[in-house]
Amino acid sequence: MQSKETQHTDMLPLSGCRVLERSNTVAAAYAGRMLAALGAQVVMLEPPGGSSLRRAPPLIDDGESALFAYLAVGKRSLAADPDSASGRALLERELGAADILIDDTPLREREALDLTPEAVRRRFPDLVHVSVLPFGAAGPKADWDGEEINLLHAGGEGFLLPNGLSHELFPDRPPLKIYGHFGGYQGGAMAAFCALAAWWAVPAGGGQYVDVSVQDAVLSVGAFALQRLGDGSLEHRTSRRFRYGGVFEAQDGFIELLTLEDRQWSSLVELLGHPAWAADAGLRDPLERSRRGDEINGHIREWMARHPVEDIVRRAQELGVPAAKYRLPAEVIHGEQERARGLFAPAVLASGREAGILVAPFQFRCTPLPREGRVPPLDEMAQEAST
Amino acid sequence: MSQDYPHSPSPDSRPAQTPAQSQSPSRALRAPLAGVRIADFTIHAAGPFCTHLLSQLGAECIKIESLTRPDAFRKPHAVYGRMSAATFDQVSANKLSVRLNLKQPEAVALAKRIVALSDVAAESFRPGVMKRLGLSFDELCEARRDLVLLSLSSCGQSGPDSHFAGYAPLFGAWGGLGWMSGYSDGPPVEMRHVMDHAAGVHAALATMAALNQRRRTGQAQHVDLAAREVASAMIGDALVLASLGITPERPGNADLAMAPHGVYPTAQPDRWLTLAIRDDEQWRSLTRVLGQEDDDARYATASARVAHRADLDRLVTHWLATRDAESTAEQLQQAGVCAHVSWTMQDIASDPHLQARGAVTTVQAPGIPARLAVGAPARFGATDQVGIRRLTPALGQDEDYVFGELLGLDSAQRADLEARGVIL
Repeated sequence: MQSKETQHTDMLPLSGCRVLERSNTVAAAYAGRMLAALGAQVVMLEPPGGSSLRRAPPLIDDGESALFAYLAVGKRSLAADPDSASGRALLERELGAADILIDDTPLREREALDLTPEAVRRRFPDLVHVSVLPFGAAGPKADWDGEEINLLHAGGEGFLLPNGLSHELFPDRPPLKIYGHFGGYQGGAMAAFCALAAWWAVPAGGGQYVDVSVQDAVLSVGAFALQRLGDGSLEHRTSRRFRYGGVFEAQDGFIELLTLEDRQWSSLVELLGHPAWAADAGLRDPLERSRRGDEINGHIREWMARHPVEDIVRRAQELGVPAAKYRLPAEVIHGEQERARGLFAPAVLASGREAGILVAPFQFRCTPLPREGRVPPLDEMAQEAST
Repeated sequence: MSQDYPHSPSPDSRPAQTPAQSQSPSRALRAPLAGVRIADFTIHAAGPFCTHLLSQLGAECIKIESLTRPDAFRKPHAVYGRMSAATFDQVSANKLSVRLNLKQPEAVALAKRIVALSDVAAESFRPGVMKRLGLSFDELCEARRDLVLLSLSSCGQSGPDSHFAGYAPLFGAWGGLGWMSGYSDGPPVEMRHVMDHAAGVHAALATMAALNQRRRTGQAQHVDLAAREVASAMIGDALVLASLGITPERPGNADLAMAPHGVYPTAQPDRWLTLAIRDDEQWRSLTRVLGQEDDDARYATASARVAHRADLDRLVTHWLATRDAESTAEQLQQAGVCAHVSWTMQDIASDPHLQARGAVTTVQAPGIPARLAVGAPARFGATDQVGIRRLTPALGQDEDYVFGELLGLDSAQRADLEARGVIL
């Protein structure tokens, strides 16, 4: 007879899927995190001192890593020293129990650990072995190393930011990265996606090795710029901007406004109260509007500065004008929409404190994802086994 | 033509000729998702990127549009200076195309028949549209009881904002990513296509989880992805802080633990070098490669360097002012330092590493001169059958296969449906 909890666990998308994660990078840890959110049993095999991510900023005031908390919630932790015989035996045991291995061990260290693709395949032919490295595991730069800022620029998006208002205000500043680990998250999501595709194919052909590169993933999500190059345009942050629309400062905050279609333009004119400048017959032509974008933005800025954000976005959405407030993290955490959808759930941190942590950026409407979570203390599995 | 498509190409189809097809036949296994079929109702960027990824891994993707409601790439896009339809559209590559005017009940019935033969249906309409069309999850499950339906939208299928429409910059604004990105003393920054496509990657991941779940349980699933929640997932660490009442900092190009860390000018105009110095050893390597002294006590430890970040940035900027970006990056990498040039798309297009990996690939087809595209999202050890197999489909080019072979409609029936605007 199964307990209620077990029955629930069996119904999750990845119930029964066992993942072994060796991660020092955000990309590999995020891959494991996504699989854990979907119900896989994810074991982080950490060095005796713990993953370096346990110390990665931003930190909570007691010194615990908020980044690690976000990345590790829902996983289990097992410590093993890969240089010791017992640590190697533990690695071997966990590999034998796993369906998927997520590994970001640098290439030069893999042979000594028997973690080359050939060595893993020989011992575990049905294992899906996913390598996640900054520049991938093959190619002339496979041994290059990179942090987020390097990889966002190696993949092309870094050079193209910021656009619009930020660039207009600070034209001489260096390009600007996206907050946090955007590139690493793309690499991790791509790794999790490819891991599940390879797992899907196991019955037909057994396990296989999958080589994921964070640089490739950044380029992949930035594919439109390569497409534009093929069309004859080399994009640049100075020119990659919407001709009108973009970021506006309202009375008490910032707004994003973007009208791409004719009907949205008409609605925008209504939102602005049918000002005299917008009655210009030439502005009925979208190409003319693009040509006179700076002039239009000047008028919109002047209007925005006189109105509160909430009034603007409420009325805009009523009229069908795509507009959104640039919300602060606290507003996201406490947002009505997020509450209604249960985007955040309480989780117990390694310190024992409770925080709200984002469950997953997708919902499974027939079998809801697990909401209870905890951040595993280092080596909790061994300690549980010994008590 | 790939072996993954179980039919002959129609005369106007455009099989891609990619380097992948000429690789060694020893890795002969089929692509991981060969045999998976997708009925694809998605439009614009985020949803089509999801199904494009699935198709790159071998899924057969049937794109359903109509002459009256064609996808965006088939129209001019003045905002981007494109004055006619795209001749190549990355996210529609690999897809088969059929026309169905979903305002007609008979077209809806045909769409359901395609869904009945598919493992996955994917849509990216505003919530409520599929139901109005008669294609709700429950109705589609009547056609295929173990269907995986992916619904990708701005704000999700539920909640008070579910009816809000938006584009990538709005997803970033709603989700908090836009606010957290920006110069510390500047306004928030708008996200571009990478935000759409990030939603698409997460949708592909969730769809694969649902397919694996279906194999185990035999049950249908409705995956509900809100693009703004993907934007929130990109600031998951900052949201942990916010939940504890802590206001997260907007760091710009700085890092809270690493310095130097940033984007620095070099000898060439608009040629920037990115640097991330993790520890003292890398700091010493940096100074050695740049031929500088490292005896300043202010920079002796990581915490000291972070504390004197602004001074350090000025110093590194001075050091790099006469350096060639690309050769300096190579020297630093050889010394174990995380460095890379801020690359333009032209740099990426000509990079041997990305080409060797197949991340950048050359595609061509009749009427389309050779051009670059983004190739397979990863390298699979057991197969070389992943990647782009054919280019942008002409509207309705695969109806012989889909309507004729799959649905069994004869030419008279199809002509009648066309005459009555069902197939349009």
